[in-house]
Amino acid sequence: MKKKFYKRKPGDFEIRILNDGRVVMVAPDETLLEIGQLLRSEIDVTLNEMETGEHARIRNTEDN
Amino acid sequence: MEPAAHKQADERAERTRELLRCCRLCPRECGVDRTAGERGYCGLNKSVRCFREMVRDDEEHELNPSHQIYFTGCNMRCEYCTVAEWNEQPWSAEEMDVEDMVARIERRRKEGAKTLNFLGGEPTVNIHGILELLGKIKAEVRVVLNSNMYYTSMVDELMTGLADVYLADMKCGNNRCAESLLDASNYMEIVKQNILKAKKHSDVIIRHVVMPGHNRCCLRPILTWLAKELPEVKLSLRGNYIPPAEAISSPKEYLRPEDLAIALDLAEKMSLRLIQ
Repeated sequence: MKKKFYKRKPGDFEIRILNDGRVVMVAPDETLLEIGQLLRSEIDVTLNEMETGEHARIRNTEDN
Repeated sequence: MEPAAHKQADERAERTRELLRCCRLCPRECGVDRTAGERGYCGLNKSVRCFREMVRDDEEHELNPSHQIYFTGCNMRCEYCTVAEWNEQPWSAEEMDVEDMVARIERRRKEGAKTLNFLGGEPTVNIHGILELLGKIKAEVRVVLNSNMYYTSMVDELMTGLADVYLADMKCGNNRCAESLLDASNYMEIVKQNILKAKKHSDVIIRHVVMPGHNRCCLRPILTWLAKELPEVKLSLRGNYIPPAEAISSPKEYLRPEDLAIALDLAEKMSLRLIQ
């Protein structure tokens, strides 16, 4: 069966959790950025348009 | 933007509304009558719609904090666009309330925003709205036009003296990639010409989002052209490419940090003026 991708609609948020544990927020607005900042206290989140170019891996408590 | 320029903006806004009767603001030259409700490639009629307004700290350092105003509608169809939904359905956002937006601009400036940043979508297909805003702002603001630079000479004329900084998004380094990734087969000649024109009257920052697998075809030609034509221009290389969920022409993977490092190294070797 062909995999069908969800197409974002105006007003949607998109957060991706990658296989390697990275979290990517796509074109975040203020609300999503605030959520990202809150998450950052626990994990490292890569935000689209935040400029490190490095996608940090989530620090999973189980890994520590 | 000097306070005296506000009057100029107001006059140009009036002129621009006339230009919308047969719209040739961008190289698509659709010729539609946007004032009569017709929509061309960008999907816009005469209404100006914004889908987001916020202050960010992650533009180039010298622009931060930057008050960003996002307009809907675009004259390109970049497959990897992270706000494509607003460009495909530009009418989904509410129409801009000019007085309200002017009040927001004043407030954001008082709160510490250093620049007023027009982006989208593509801001230049909404130039009548931008000019109207600039005509009504009382304060002295540093105006940033964050554009794909894919526009006709009319836009350059209309923005001369009003945009302090052109944040020029140089996406591809050749027309074949531009056609498949952006749907713009004449991209290179138009964008290069507009960047050279903008540099004559404004500060220009060239921004390039480094794409995986596009080193030889896009990155190198862009850097080579800059080194030859505009070695003094500020260059911002970014590593935040986000692959679309369903990539057809675009790279399917994220950029690796080492690939960004290679790009930065190449720019340094060409003595380009890198900024962050």
